[in-house]
Amino acid sequence: MAREFQRGHKAKISDLTAGTDLYVGVQIAGPGLTFDISCFGLDAAERLSDDRYFVFFNQPKSPEGAIQQLGAQAGDTDSFRITLDQIPPHIQRLSFTATLDGAGQMSQVGPGYLRIVAGGQEVARYSFTGTEFSTERAVMLGDVYLKDVWRFAAVGQGFDGGLEALLRNFGGEVLAEEPESQAAQAPQAAPAQAPAAAPAFAPPQQTTPPPAFAAPAAPSPAPAPPQAPAPVPGPAHQAHTPPPHQGFPPPPGSTPPPAPPAGQMHAAPTLAAGIAPPGFFNDPGASSGGGQLPPPPGPPGVPGVPGQPAPYGQQPAPYGQPGQQPYGQPQAPHQPPQQHAPYPGQPYPAAPQHGQPYPGQPAPYGQPAGAAGAAGVQAALQKYREVPTGQRWTLQNPKLVRVDLGIDGQPVLARQGSMVLYQGKVEFGYKGAGFAGRIVGNATGQELQLMRCTGRGQVFLAENAAHVHPIELQGDAICVSAESVLAFDETLQHEVRRIEGHGIPGGALFTMQFQGQGTVVVKTHGTPVVLPVTPSTYVDSNAIVAWSAGAQVIISSQVRLRRSSFPGHSGEAVNLQFRGAPGNFVVVQPYEV
Amino acid sequence: MNQTPIQGYAPTPVTARMENHGSSMLKVAMQTGQDLFARTGSMVAYEGYVQYDPNPPAVRQMASQWLTGEGMPLMRCHGDGLLYLADYGADVVCLQLNGDSLSVNGTNVLAFDAHLQWGVERVKGMAKFAGQGLFNVGISGTGWVALTSRGTPIVVDCGRGDDETYVDPDALVAWSSNLRMKGKRSFKASSLIGRGSGEAYQLGFSGEGFVVVQPSEDSTDRLRARG
Repeated sequence: MAREFQRGHKAKISDLTAGTDLYVGVQIAGPGLTFDISCFGLDAAERLSDDRYFVFFNQPKSPEGAIQQLGAQAGDTDSFRITLDQIPPHIQRLSFTATLDGAGQMSQVGPGYLRIVAGGQEVARYSFTGTEFSTERAVMLGDVYLKDVWRFAAVGQGFDGGLEALLRNFGGEVLAEEPESQAAQAPQAAPAQAPAAAPAFAPPQQTTPPPAFAAPAAPSPAPAPPQAPAPVPGPAHQAHTPPPHQGFPPPPGSTPPPAPPAGQMHAAPTLAAGIAPPGFFNDPGASSGGGQLPPPPGPPGVPGVPGQPAPYGQQPAPYGQPGQQPYGQPQAPHQPPQQHAPYPGQPYPAAPQHGQPYPGQPAPYGQPAGAAGAAGVQAALQKYREVPTGQRWTLQNPKLVRVDLGIDGQPVLARQGSMVLYQGKVEFGYKGAGFAGRIVGNATGQELQLMRCTGRGQVFLAENAAHVHPIELQGDAICVSAESVLAFDETLQHEVRRIEGHGIPGGALFTMQFQGQGTVVVKTHGTPVVLPVTPSTYVDSNAIVAWSAGAQVIISSQVRLRRSSFPGHSGEAVNLQFRGAPGNFVVVQPYEV
Repeated sequence: MNQTPIQGYAPTPVTARMENHGSSMLKVAMQTGQDLFARTGSMVAYEGYVQYDPNPPAVRQMASQWLTGEGMPLMRCHGDGLLYLADYGADVVCLQLNGDSLSVNGTNVLAFDAHLQWGVERVKGMAKFAGQGLFNVGISGTGWVALTSRGTPIVVDCGRGDDETYVDPDALVAWSSNLRMKGKRSFKASSLIGRGSGEAYQLGFSGEGFVVVQPSEDSTDRLRARG
């Protein structure tokens, strides 16, 4: 699972990944805002002494190619490829910044992130929201810097004054020429990036209630934002009549920058909506092959992430086509007319249209832009995609856990029948009675039947849509009610304990105590509560899930069964009382078995 | 009455043919001419003028292939208004098909546009399930489909090397139609997985495509169980 960074957190890159070929993706967006994402290659004094290492939209790579800007893809507003071992020695710090282009301030920014992907897997993510900022016009998001070894720091520092001030901050001498090139760029950038705004903030729209435009019945009266969405509602829900959309619908006149490229940009999403998907999905091979754009960290996202050199090999040269290869066929035919011939060297206009039809983000019902709808099944299922992380145990969603047996080859014991899916060569064996027999003593048949998963591959475990919680033990111990055990590493020492008490169904409560290094997956019906153990902690024996064994090995000393003395209280006859040193806890589920 | 605590649950403006209202309710914007097939008994509320035809001829013909003597599993809804569907609190996933095709486990179909091409599919290796009332609907075309899933589903891509993907049939929700599918039975006496008596049976998928799986082996058709 990607490591979550907070502002100010630092880590060695080598702790995150063994690779040196990193993909850095930034997602930042806000309604009506456009951003320039740049990477500053700074020297030891944190100065931009060599302006060839200021990688931005006008200079998409450093001389030797160690830093390349890839443009928008895989749900990221912008992305970079960093090859750490090729970075020349005088560059000691790469600072990733986002600056506002045009009016606005950073506090308007929606939720965004900076993430590092290596080897096809997301290894670090620093999430931020606009509420952390105020009137800043630029923000330094994160640094990759060399201090003995390469490290990553989540900075999240706002900066007043935008790109120029940021440049001035990093090195005075650059100031003279850069602002000029900025200024020269400005007239071009302004119209071109205005349409880009729509795709750019598409992701936030997905998380916030979409603007209300009329029901599906009314494609035309879309009082949508002045960007691309206007023509698109049609395709979104009338996609079953694609032909009308195959023509180029005239761009809505409401667009502020009516420049020709703007028109093209408007046509572009519509085209993508109307045409791309059929071509896309009619070819089954294409639909799930490289042409598909699944979640960035996902396996299918691999085309877009490092570790897969192929896409990169094609990108640097025509960098104006960022992401085209990974996104594949669907758009290829329509690409040429949309090539930003007018703006050579301006990667932004093209990028959004790649990003839009396949927002790598959770998908979007009725997203007004319609693009997500156009991507159809793939986009709608996006948010449910598998999240590979390279870790042994991964919570895929609150109710499903994935174990990758290939990570260290250790078998896993799981409750029988809890496997919902597996990939690879995995063998499932009955876990012998040596273990189970001790549980079988239960008269009610409340026995824990385990299976042993061995081999190589990924196994997805879930049961009855119960919430699952992987608990990693690092030498400590935990007791889990036998009914709540979903799976655990075989490396853990486990023993079955029996807590006898009158009134417990079957005469006893079976618990398993786990100890050692490994992970136990506990399932609960509903969201559990974790209570600290106090001198008066009582728990219904039917609702108990787990409790910490603390330092004491003998659990029975902690647990005392009491017969409830409330007269006439038939339902809650058995409670467990817990006693323990401060720091111990009890996990209770809102469900009585 | 102070309605503040429940105001947050008011319907949101319609933006698409099908939308989620919360995680487990589906809102369909109905229009004349855009009919809908929905699971019988899944309607929880509607606004406007919506009519239900519980035994449409089209379905009767199709259904004869998979059902004998039971009620029709689908009803045809037509009219204008807003239709709310749910299946006992199961998560609802709306998909917009754009010429792609999908196979859906019959119990996991909630609703789909009537103009989509659909049919009952017979899949090799699925014979075992015929007796369990499990049917399998292939849907293709361009339009909307809503699926249900017990718990948040997961989407897994199949096309990864030689490794096939094996799914517990009870947990299977939907898959790309172009996947090759085969049953796998574990013959080893020591192998005991899957629910129940030790019959080990999984469905193997290979090819390029995705599989949607729910985190529950509960494949009970609650709508039908209710009758």
